[in-house]
Amino acid sequence: MANVSVAAEWQLLSNRFYRKLEIYQMRWKHVDLSRNKVACAPFGGPIAIIRDDSKIVQLYSESALRKLRIFNSAGVLISETIWKHPGGRLIGMSWTDDQTLICIVQDGTIYRYNINAECLEPNYSMGKECFEQNVVDCVFWGNGVVCLTEAGKLFCVADFKDIKPYKLADPIIRMEEELPHCMAVIEPQYTVSGNVVVLLGVGDGIVTVDDDDVRQVESDDLRGPVQKLAVSHNGRILARFTHDGYLVMSNMQFDTIFEYQCESDLPPEQMAWCGLDSVLLYRDDMLLVVGPSEYCISYIYDEPVILIPECDGVRILSNSTLEFLQRVPDSTESIFKIGSTSPASLLVDALDHFDRRSAKADENLRLIRTSLPEAVEACVDAAGHEFDVSRQRTLLRAASYGQAFFGFGSNFQRDCIQEMCKTLRVLNAVRDFVIGVPLSIQQYKSLTAPVLIGRLINAHQHLLALRLSEYLGIIKASRKQEIDNEKRELKICKGISYAAVAAHADKSGRRKLAAMLVEYESRSSKQRPALEFFGTIQARSFARDLFITYARSYKHEFLKDFFLSTGQLQDVAFLLWKESWELGKNPMASKGSPLHGPRIKLIEKAQNLFSETKEHTFESKAAEEHAKLLRIQHELEVSTKQAIFVDSSISDTIRTCIVLGNHRAAMKVKTEFKVSEKRWYWLKVFALATIRDWDALEKFSKEKRPPIGYRPFVEACIDADEKGEALKYIPKLGDPRERAEAYARIGMAKEAADAASQAKDGELLGRLKLSFAQNTAASSIFDTLRDRLSFQGVS
Amino acid sequence: MAQIPNLDNSPLNLKSLRELSQRELINILKNIRGKKCLVIDPKLSGSLSLIIQTSVLREHGAELRHLSADPIQTDCTKVVYLVRSRFNLMRYICSHVHNDISKGLEREYHIYFVPRREVVCEKVLEEEKVHHLMTIGEYPFYMVPLDEDVLSFELDFANKDCQVDGDTSSLWYIAKAIHKLESSFGVIPHVRAKGKASVRVADILSHMQTEEPVNSSDMGGPEINTLILLDREVDMVTPMCSQLTYEGLLDEFLHIHNGSVELDASIMGAQQQEGKKMKVPLNSSDKLFKETRDLNFEVVVQVLRQKATSMKQDYTEMTTTNQTVSELKDFVKKLNSLPEMTRHINLAQHLSMFTSKQSFLARLDMEHTIVEAQSYDICFEYIEELIHKQEPLVSVLRFLILLSVTNSGLPKKHFDYLRRELLHSYGFEHMATLNNLEKAGLLKKQETKSNWLTVKRALQLVIEDTDTANPNDISYVFSGYAPLSIRLVQHAVRSGWRPMEEILKLLPGPHSETKRVGFSSSPSFDTLHRSSEAADRLVADGRRSLVLVVFIGGVTFAEISALRFLSAQEGMAYDMIIGTTNIVNGNTLAEAYVEHLV
Repeated sequence: MANVSVAAEWQLLSNRFYRKLEIYQMRWKHVDLSRNKVACAPFGGPIAIIRDDSKIVQLYSESALRKLRIFNSAGVLISETIWKHPGGRLIGMSWTDDQTLICIVQDGTIYRYNINAECLEPNYSMGKECFEQNVVDCVFWGNGVVCLTEAGKLFCVADFKDIKPYKLADPIIRMEEELPHCMAVIEPQYTVSGNVVVLLGVGDGIVTVDDDDVRQVESDDLRGPVQKLAVSHNGRILARFTHDGYLVMSNMQFDTIFEYQCESDLPPEQMAWCGLDSVLLYRDDMLLVVGPSEYCISYIYDEPVILIPECDGVRILSNSTLEFLQRVPDSTESIFKIGSTSPASLLVDALDHFDRRSAKADENLRLIRTSLPEAVEACVDAAGHEFDVSRQRTLLRAASYGQAFFGFGSNFQRDCIQEMCKTLRVLNAVRDFVIGVPLSIQQYKSLTAPVLIGRLINAHQHLLALRLSEYLGIIKASRKQEIDNEKRELKICKGISYAAVAAHADKSGRRKLAAMLVEYESRSSKQRPALEFFGTIQARSFARDLFITYARSYKHEFLKDFFLSTGQLQDVAFLLWKESWELGKNPMASKGSPLHGPRIKLIEKAQNLFSETKEHTFESKAAEEHAKLLRIQHELEVSTKQAIFVDSSISDTIRTCIVLGNHRAAMKVKTEFKVSEKRWYWLKVFALATIRDWDALEKFSKEKRPPIGYRPFVEACIDADEKGEALKYIPKLGDPRERAEAYARIGMAKEAADAASQAKDGELLGRLKLSFAQNTAASSIFDTLRDRLSFQGVS
Repeated sequence: MAQIPNLDNSPLNLKSLRELSQRELINILKNIRGKKCLVIDPKLSGSLSLIIQTSVLREHGAELRHLSADPIQTDCTKVVYLVRSRFNLMRYICSHVHNDISKGLEREYHIYFVPRREVVCEKVLEEEKVHHLMTIGEYPFYMVPLDEDVLSFELDFANKDCQVDGDTSSLWYIAKAIHKLESSFGVIPHVRAKGKASVRVADILSHMQTEEPVNSSDMGGPEINTLILLDREVDMVTPMCSQLTYEGLLDEFLHIHNGSVELDASIMGAQQQEGKKMKVPLNSSDKLFKETRDLNFEVVVQVLRQKATSMKQDYTEMTTTNQTVSELKDFVKKLNSLPEMTRHINLAQHLSMFTSKQSFLARLDMEHTIVEAQSYDICFEYIEELIHKQEPLVSVLRFLILLSVTNSGLPKKHFDYLRRELLHSYGFEHMATLNNLEKAGLLKKQETKSNWLTVKRALQLVIEDTDTANPNDISYVFSGYAPLSIRLVQHAVRSGWRPMEEILKLLPGPHSETKRVGFSSSPSFDTLHRSSEAADRLVADGRRSLVLVVFIGGVTFAEISALRFLSAQEGMAYDMIIGTTNIVNGNTLAEAYVEHLV
């Protein structure tokens, strides 16, 4: 029968049963615990593994560089990174309560990693003395550590959230003579002083050390030297392994409660409390469970194991499996113990009969009718303690089967079952090997759901975390927002303020995430404050643009650095070039002062940056010309003693020169900047017209045949309202249409009409007629001409 | 004052919207007891003048000032700033406060951000250590009705901000404004967007609907049936062409600002001393203007002449024959329209001074040549000459943009040559101008073949023989060119995007089409049924359903005229309301990209 087989795997120690459940087959491959330093976090937390540099190990096809790898409890790799920190050997490695991996190396440097194997800045040091003396050993507890140096001094960090190493009282150990045999700590929460107390097995006795006091333990019963020490979870019982092979359990005053003589007096490699009523000893291939009994339970292992103490048992990690050793819970025992006739056991049996449609089901129920409530309760409780889902189901079904017979007023029981179902769904979800958090129900209860969800988030199991928090109704605002960090999940929560999430993400040091989230924020005013406190902006186009906009109007220098850091050289170039204009605005700069130097330098700097990229050859050339122009303008201002050149364009400079009668300078600018003949003619003609130097204009027209014809001359004269001058050039216009329009503009209708008819352009004639609308004589000329034209068109 | 437009004939109850804005502003003033000095952001004062009269503000104890760098001269102990969220304005305010402190003046400061506060601005106040002295509030003024069918969101630089600087904050304001409309008139069930910014606005809008849903269950059906969002970027050709409608030309040459133009009083025939400026309000309250604003300017001249002639005839009849009393009454009534007549005759005369210029005609000619996209070389040479002659930079840029957009860029050789000539003629500071234009994609190197010919043909943008006097197509507004943007709207209204997807793909930016449900909770059959019933009832009322066309990056008057023309067509089942970030024309658009460094 199934029930029998359950209990068949149990082992009895004094009057208590123990069971060892296999939780996972480890998913990892080629991991040999004996070659590695291993840190396992309690509460089913992650496992950190790094090759042990204090051992000589053979390298198989692997890199000589050490890798820090982080697995979940099922051996699924979460993250890895290469270990390349200086500071000597890795002495101690442990997980803190918030799942930060603390690594302490020989020189006392503390490196911290998160579960994603990202090194958390900054690194801390245990202090100068540790640095000089070298750390040889360290003992961790929840959030603290005590380090022992080669000089026998003790240093402590009481809380890794606020790393402030300090020195404990000096135990005065002559390290060169004798190293302490063992070391253990009593956590601050269990000491009278509220400070940590260190127990050191030195010489024949034990020394207790705290902040400012060292005491030799005075007890007749010590049986030193002590080889191994372990303090129970509640800090009340001390287990020590003596040199003569005794395991002694005592209270903190060293009054023996119980002792057990082991077969060997060699000290165990590992010693750990299993709950509060037994101690595990591991040496070579043997794991002993010692409890208040003259016998002990022994298990044989053919591979190295690591004991991971939990509050209600011990997890046993080996290369291939993860097991959980615990005292069989009372409810489970009452149901499954061989020959049990407890109501709960009968209820389970009744369900079995019921399933098989046997009438004995009813018989069983009648038997336990009066004690049904406790039977149901026991079934529910036992279900909670099971790791096996089908057994959970059986027990819960038994409970609800029994519950159905109470009749009314049994809400309490029903809620109980519901509550348990909920809890078990959570536990089963996190126990899945992908998540790999093998929590027992008791661990879960002492860990609490919000903490569990927080841990899932840290391990990037956002979806599960979200589902759990929704399922359990734990919607702590900040948590929930943090959960929502993946886009897909974000979509689930409509109308959430991404900026708020981003701000939160930024605070928790996750800038990448923050920048990413800002992309989703639709309310841009909220984006900017969020962005304000970002030190870095990642390559998120939207966030970046916003930042740039902000910086452009506010923090110029900041922006330059940003562009430089992102390699947008042309943008830096533009900024430098704009700065050069700012310098130009300085009134001192326009008076031919030495300020021109820095201004031109800035432009040249910009030019160099532009020339870095092929796409900006044009800008680079322009900047070069710009610098050149400024120099020439500067010279012109000096030579003419007129501050009218700087910051005008090349064309304006030429015009100014001509207007000032400085034709040579104009010509020089023209050749320096390779001004085309076309532009030159327009410029010179307009300039000469401005100073109304009609003779010079005429001379200019005769220099050679103008490259763009005589239109500029005509236009300049007409604009200056010099009909006579214009008439010099109009006949020279090549196109009769242009001629017609030019005549029309100076009001010579007859000539205009003639030219237009020469062009045979009816439309033009019509338009000209309109412009002569007031002049009836003129308009009749146009009409006749147009008639003649259209007549021609017809014929 | 005539400057506040009369909204009685609006197809949407814009009046209530304006009254709300009025009330909110007055409440701000009421809540600050006693005399106060109201310091207004100069950019805002124009918009505010369209909703409230300054006398009303004064009645509530406000002494009015414009915000500038100079310290405020006032005896009031209470200073109320009404400003947009801009850094430089914050600086002014800070300097005012510091100035007061240095003089030992103790004042009470209030800042009202329009339309909403931005934390960055407050940050400036904090950094300048004046934040604690301020009482900070918001004046949620997101839009202003310019006319009975035009709403402006008053965002001047939306186009440039988005395209060059990537500052998309204006998109949020646009969405917010539309959302505000929805909260008064119901969730708009159909949304069609074309262009990057438009699609984003549509997104933000639906986001807002989930964040702060409009409860439309107590509103009956939605009053606006369709929202069409259009990026200016999609059609940069139209605004670069010279507008030829009356109102468009007024804007091109005289620049209409907040529904009025400012010009020399002498032009308007006033017998005043030289150089005195006067404001001429231009909106639908002026009946003659309402009649003529959307007409091609050629026609306007004729209409005015006709009116003048008939008036003259009446007058002659009046003086020569004996009239009955009722005939006299009619005549006097007609006389009432005399001021309007003179006003517009003066304006038209002033305008024709510009339009008869040969350079203007050449300009129009060239615009048409470019739009026809047949003779590239002529256009290139024309622009080259403009640059050589150092014609106003903005008009050169208009042509450059027009040429580049229709040819999807200029050939590399020309691109570099024209840019160099431009820098030589106008100064190297315009390197930044050119860079802005390039970033916005308005002036660039040719890399692909242009789609313009295909678009032009498929959408029938160039219409030969347009009869401007009796138009049958929107092309009358540009005497032969039908604005691309309005063609898109025409199609979108008629049949949605689907049948024209191929063409849409040839234009910049994505497009989207969404159907929205006003009831934020899951729509049951019942509610859906009810809303469609409501829609039916509206149609049965004889009222046409409404289309809101929103231009992101601005709209020109010519385009507005074209839309009015469309909605006046008999076959059209919709009235149109226009929403826009601001009113633009080619000059203001191009001007936005010009950097002023000197």
